[in-house]
Amino acid sequence: MKKNKKNSFDIPEGYFESFNDRLMDRIKKEEAENGESLIPKSDGFTVPNSYFDNVEPVVLSKTVKKETKVVPLRPNSNFYYGAAAVAAIFILIFSFNWNSTSETIGFDDLANAEIEAYLDNNTYGMSSYEIASIIPIDDLSFEDVLENALEENNILEYLDENVDDIEDLNLDYSDYE
Amino acid sequence: MIAEETLVQELKKEETRAKAFEVLVNTYKERLYWHIRRIVLNHDDADDVLQNTFIKIFRNIDNFKGESKLYSWMYRIATNESLTFLKQKSKKMGVSDQELKERLVENLEADVYFEGDEIQMKLQKALASLPDKQKLVFTMKYFEEMKYEDISDALGTSVGALKASYHLAVKKIEAYLRED
Repeated sequence: MKKNKKNSFDIPEGYFESFNDRLMDRIKKEEAENGESLIPKSDGFTVPNSYFDNVEPVVLSKTVKKETKVVPLRPNSNFYYGAAAVAAIFILIFSFNWNSTSETIGFDDLANAEIEAYLDNNTYGMSSYEIASIIPIDDLSFEDVLENALEENNILEYLDENVDDIEDLNLDYSDYE
Repeated sequence: MIAEETLVQELKKEETRAKAFEVLVNTYKERLYWHIRRIVLNHDDADDVLQNTFIKIFRNIDNFKGESKLYSWMYRIATNESLTFLKQKSKKMGVSDQELKERLVENLEADVYFEGDEIQMKLQKALASLPDKQKLVFTMKYFEEMKYEDISDALGTSVGALKASYHLAVKKIEAYLRED
């Protein structure tokens, strides 16, 4: 048998051309596998036994089954007219006496603490732009939105650390002239 | 399983609403629970938020326009309810959002409904150190195995931005887990 001086082995067509791509794919795959193995597959949370079986009745009792039932009107409506007339007389008498002795309760009677507690505990779904459009900017100062008062030294320290060129701030130096 | 479009139509009709809502709760309770639980961490809180989420879904179903999938719309409500719940909790406790997150993770050590080992505990600490959006994207992709398109629908963020957030989150978590 005649010996091939160069090589007697054969390779698939285009082997070397595609070698780089295949190598890179394998490296990426191995990297991905190593990365995934670091992060656990499960996060360890559990639920009480048969919890999910109880979700449905609880939710339905607060939604579907809570909807107001329709009460049929009785054919004899004279009773209601009578009751309404008596109630109207009572309301008239009471409102007459009430107005002579007391004032109407208004917004000013609400304690500030109550308003603050309401605002703290309720989300009102307004963006900062919507809030800004209601409250004129001239009526606000920095102190209104800051929880802690800003010390001048802290401001200067911050600017010193975070601003490369003080000229960028376009400060008006008239006070210092 | 009932088709989503049919379910939406039945939810909007007075006479079929009750039955359709029952189907909806049954179909989505587990998925929404796990989504909420991974945000609020504690089981009792997750249970409260899950109920609030379904109540909100029930009350607002007429406002559902069908521009997104029902499933994504419910995820959006669940996410908002969970984040609002945490915000209110931190205000009530008088701590910052970040402090609350760290406390919630610390509480897991004594939580009977958390059976995590050391590495799972460390994972929770790593997740608490991430910005909200990155944490959400990571848990929705990694644990809830959602498609980027669905996450995009639920969070209102582009798929490209979500992919970037996810990869960033994975890198940060891996780096955290590698630390001693």
